[in-house]
This record gives sequence, structure tokens and C-alpha cells, in this order.
Amino acid sequence: MFFNVKDIEQFQSQKQFIDTAIVPLLSLEFADDRSRQSSSAAEFLMSLTAFIEQQFKGRLLVTPPFSYTPALKDAIRPEAIKDELQSAGFKHIFFMTCDHHWTTIEGERDVIWMPAIPLESMDKAVKQRILEDQLKQVIPTFTSAWTSV
Amino acid sequence: MSNNRVTRRQFLTYTITGVGGFMAAGMLMPMVRFAIDPVLQTKAEGDFVLTGQRVDELTEAPVKVDFSYEQVDAWYKSEVTDAAWVYKNGDEIVALSPVCKHLGCTVNWAGDSAYPDQFYCACHGGRYEKTGVNVPNTPPTGPLDQYEVSEKDGYLMLGKKFANSFA
Repeated sequence: MFFNVKDIEQFQSQKQFIDTAIVPLLSLEFADDRSRQSSSAAEFLMSLTAFIEQQFKGRLLVTPPFSYTPALKDAIRPEAIKDELQSAGFKHIFFMTCDHHWTTIEGERDVIWMPAIPLESMDKAVKQRILEDQLKQVIPTFTSAWTSV
Repeated sequence: MSNNRVTRRQFLTYTITGVGGFMAAGMLMPMVRFAIDPVLQTKAEGDFVLTGQRVDELTEAPVKVDFSYEQVDAWYKSEVTDAAWVYKNGDEIVALSPVCKHLGCTVNWAGDSAYPDQFYCACHGGRYEKTGVNVPNTPPTGPLDQYEVSEKDGYLMLGKKFANSFA
């Protein structure tokens, strides 16, 4: 599910089935030497989360990305977002990011860091295969959370 | 001879009838054309999407066939990648949509090792027979949709979705 009216209406009527939220944390950098890499990482992260949504549409909600520039980085508090999603009824909340910043924070166990793979130079079939491979990396994280309850 | 001569009156009548006829036709033709337009509309071949799957490589075991097409949402064009589970049932090619009828997840063939010849939805444990018919007492409420299939130069083409014909 995405955060749009149609999906949210379905979410509200099927709350017992949709218990997982995926929150992309997206770093935007506009400096000349960083913007290309930053946009490539953004493209990868959005493609991957959209692909995860397609595979697990009926069980999880992919929220719009929480985007931040280096100056705003400290204003994003994953634990606060997590609390609000939990009070909305989500049992499992995962943050997905390509930004190393989040892996350095103590106690952030719900952040899944993925290496940004530059998709822009690939043709469609390769891109699809890369995304499938990356999906396989994250599936165990989801299934272990789902089976632990 | 003289009684076959065209009088001025006759000449004018013929001319005016002729010219009037053309003018009337000129007005009526487009109207008729508009009225019967839906009938003349050519059925777009584009309803079928060519995949990269060779038909003679298909077997009884379902394989995932990816295909993509362009989708236009108002001003936003996007390339949509979709997939189908395709296998041979005797001589007939069966293409099933992988979209679970419960809440729209993607199902996988033999996704659960306990049921190696069923489609399995990892989200809530929904299961389907090979024909796409849902296994009772699992969450899905209906069978998987089927795709129309066609062949072009040995490659598989997929068309519109329709309700499962095995159910």
C-alpha cells in the first residue's frame, strides 16, 4: 500500500492484515560534488521500496519518504515516527535508507541500510534483476519479524 | 433531333440537382462517418504485450515471465513492469496473474516449501492450486486471474486479464 486515499481506505477496513510500515529515509544533497550521487541513491531507494510494495502490497504500507538535507538531518527522529505509527496500529516498522548516518546511531535496530546501486546506467532487465536480488536481502528481515509474533 | 434538345430550363434543373446533391453529400458524409465511427474503430493490436519468453521453452512447471508496458496517468507516463506465471497444460498455455486476490500481494510458485505444487502468498499465507483456484480456508476469496495468451514469432504475448476459467 502507498499513502494515497484508495490504499488508506483499504487499510482502514483491513487493519488486522496490514501490520507493517516501511519508512524510507532519504538524504538530499545539492552540493555540486554530491548531488549526482545523492539523486542516484534516491532513485534506487524509491525503486526498491516501490518494488517491495508491489510484492507485499497486502501486508505493508510504504510511506512517502522522509527527506532531509544535511542541515536537517538531526531534525528527523525515527523513534518519534515509530511511536506515531505504532499508535496508528502498525506492529512492525522498518526504516529503509541508503544513508550511513542512521547505522551509526546506537539502538536503531529497525533501520535497514542498503548500499545504493546506481540503476541509471542499467537496462530494464538488469535493473529488475538487481531489485529482485536486493529484495531477497530484505525479505528475511520481514519474515523473521512476522513470524516472531 | 430537335425534340432531343436540352432546354434552358432542363439544363438548369439538372445542374442545380447535381450541385445540390454534392453539397448535401458533403454535409451528410461526415455526420454519417461520426455516427458509425465506433464500428470502424480498429481494434488495437497493442492490447497484447510481447514478452521475452519463447513458447517452445515453456513446460508444465510454472515460470515467472516479466513484461513491461507504458502506462499514462494524466500527464505522468511510467513504465510498468508486471509479471505472469506461465505453464503448459497439455497443449494449452496458461498464464496466471501473480496478484493475490486477498489484498494484492505477489504470489510465488512453490513459495512455501510445505506446499511445493501450489502458489503461495507470503503476506498472509494464502495458497492457490496450480490452476489458480484458491485453497479453501486460506485468506484469498477468489481464484487468480488469467491472461489472454497469444504467440508471435515463437514468443509469448500476453493480453487482457480475465476471470479464471478453471474455477
